[in-house]
Amino acid sequence: MTARQDERLLDGPLLPVRCRRCAAEVLVRKASWEQTSIQWNAAARASCVSLGDDPSGTCPALRSAIQEAALTGALRVAG
Amino acid sequence: MIHVTAAESDAVRAIEAEAISSRFARGWHCLGPAGTFKDGKPHTVNAFGQKLVVFTGEDGKTNVLDGYCRHMGGDLSQGTVKGNEIACPFHDWRWGGDGRCKKIPYSRRVPLRARTAAWPTMEQDRLLFVWNDPEGSKPPADVTIPVIEGASRDDWTDWRWTETVVHTNCREVIDNVVDMAHFFYIHNSFPTYFKNVFEGHVATQIMKGKSRPDARREGGGEGPRMLGNSSVASYHGPSFMIDELTYHYEGFDLRSVLINSHYPIDQNSFSLHSGIIVQHSDELPPEAAEATAEKLSSFILAGFEQDIEIWRNKTRIDNPLLCEEDGPVYQLRRWYEQFYVDVADIRPEMTDRFEFEIDTTRPVESWQKEVEENLARREGASA
Ligand code: FES
Ligand SMILES: [Fe+2]
Repeated sequence: MTARQDERLLDGPLLPVRCRRCAAEVLVRKASWEQTSIQWNAAARASCVSLGDDPSGTCPALRSAIQEAALTGALRVAG
Repeated sequence: MIHVTAAESDAVRAIEAEAISSRFARGWHCLGPAGTFKDGKPHTVNAFGQKLVVFTGEDGKTNVLDGYCRHMGGDLSQGTVKGNEIACPFHDWRWGGDGRCKKIPYSRRVPLRARTAAWPTMEQDRLLFVWNDPEGSKPPADVTIPVIEGASRDDWTDWRWTETVVHTNCREVIDNVVDMAHFFYIHNSFPTYFKNVFEGHVATQIMKGKSRPDARREGGGEGPRMLGNSSVASYHGPSFMIDELTYHYEGFDLRSVLINSHYPIDQNSFSLHSGIIVQHSDELPPEAAEATAEKLSSFILAGFEQDIEIWRNKTRIDNPLLCEEDGPVYQLRRWYEQFYVDVADIRPEMTDRFEFEIDTTRPVESWQKEVEENLARREGASA
């Protein structure tokens, strides 16, 4: 099967955000203040220390790093 | 920033769909409650584009073999269980659970090549699982189905299990994992929170919802009022979803585990199963819990029927057009593809962790309005 891209990424790409607790670098997109996409890779996943108990949660340290990036404008929030 | 040229925005969007792969997913597939296959008779199961025979020997082990006898092509699922073997109805050749012919009563010797395809099986939580692998490898130890705590505990009900044949490709049922909006429009739910996490061979949907006063059936007014529900549902591999589903009532919570699983029959049909167990509690003593499980089971089946009606009429689409309030369909399908390629060809992006949280502000606003309009219309009609 041909790999197809989520075309929404054409309207706003994933951008790097670094966690300040563990230095994991992930790719993030925010279509609005309440929407968040986070793409991890193996290196980032291995360095995160907070994802242990709740695998469906979001790392709190990373969450605040994303929030800050959005507030400072380093991460553009569409919408 | 959106840079759409005039030509692009004027062009008619085409629906694209490639031919469906003839390959079936690698992974554990549940065939249903294990007890079904322990009646000493062979069972026919059409799965993975083939006819299989499922039988339990005297030793209590349930086996899955290719349905057709290697001798002259007899249908083993029409045969007889003799000892730990399945005897072919045509000339009585005896096949063991390991796929080897153990005995030909009328012959001195079994031919050397007398071996048929056997599928690894597993019994867990009173369910029977079969491992499908186009590459023929054994199931790896780290690709398991988690044990469901309530399934073997006295303070939970027994499984209520249903099976339905659906005539479409099973990717449709997988898409539900990310499809928040259809829960409102098709299933009369009201999602207020929605998030997905994909990682490794697990795909999770976290959803919170409130009840729909406009969808409550007439006469369903007695009993405690349901406020909403919280659900964490994960596919462990390509076909078996465990949903930890809690219903919030005024004053108490009802805990249940819902199974949503399937196995492909062929490229254009699959067998869709639902299972549910409910925990007893002070508010819900054993008998009431059994009754609730029964009710929820028919409720879930009704939900499947709602999906099936859509699938029956919709078209397959490889390039869905998404708005920002839709879930990550493309990333889910990227995750799902890992089960259709050789293990050596699994790319990191298929298994790397991906999180997606939907902004539900606008959906909730819009659905709230719709609910109120429905209620007003109903009141107007009954006044
Ligand atoms: S075809 Fe099965 S025993 Fe002959
Ligand atoms: Fe559905």
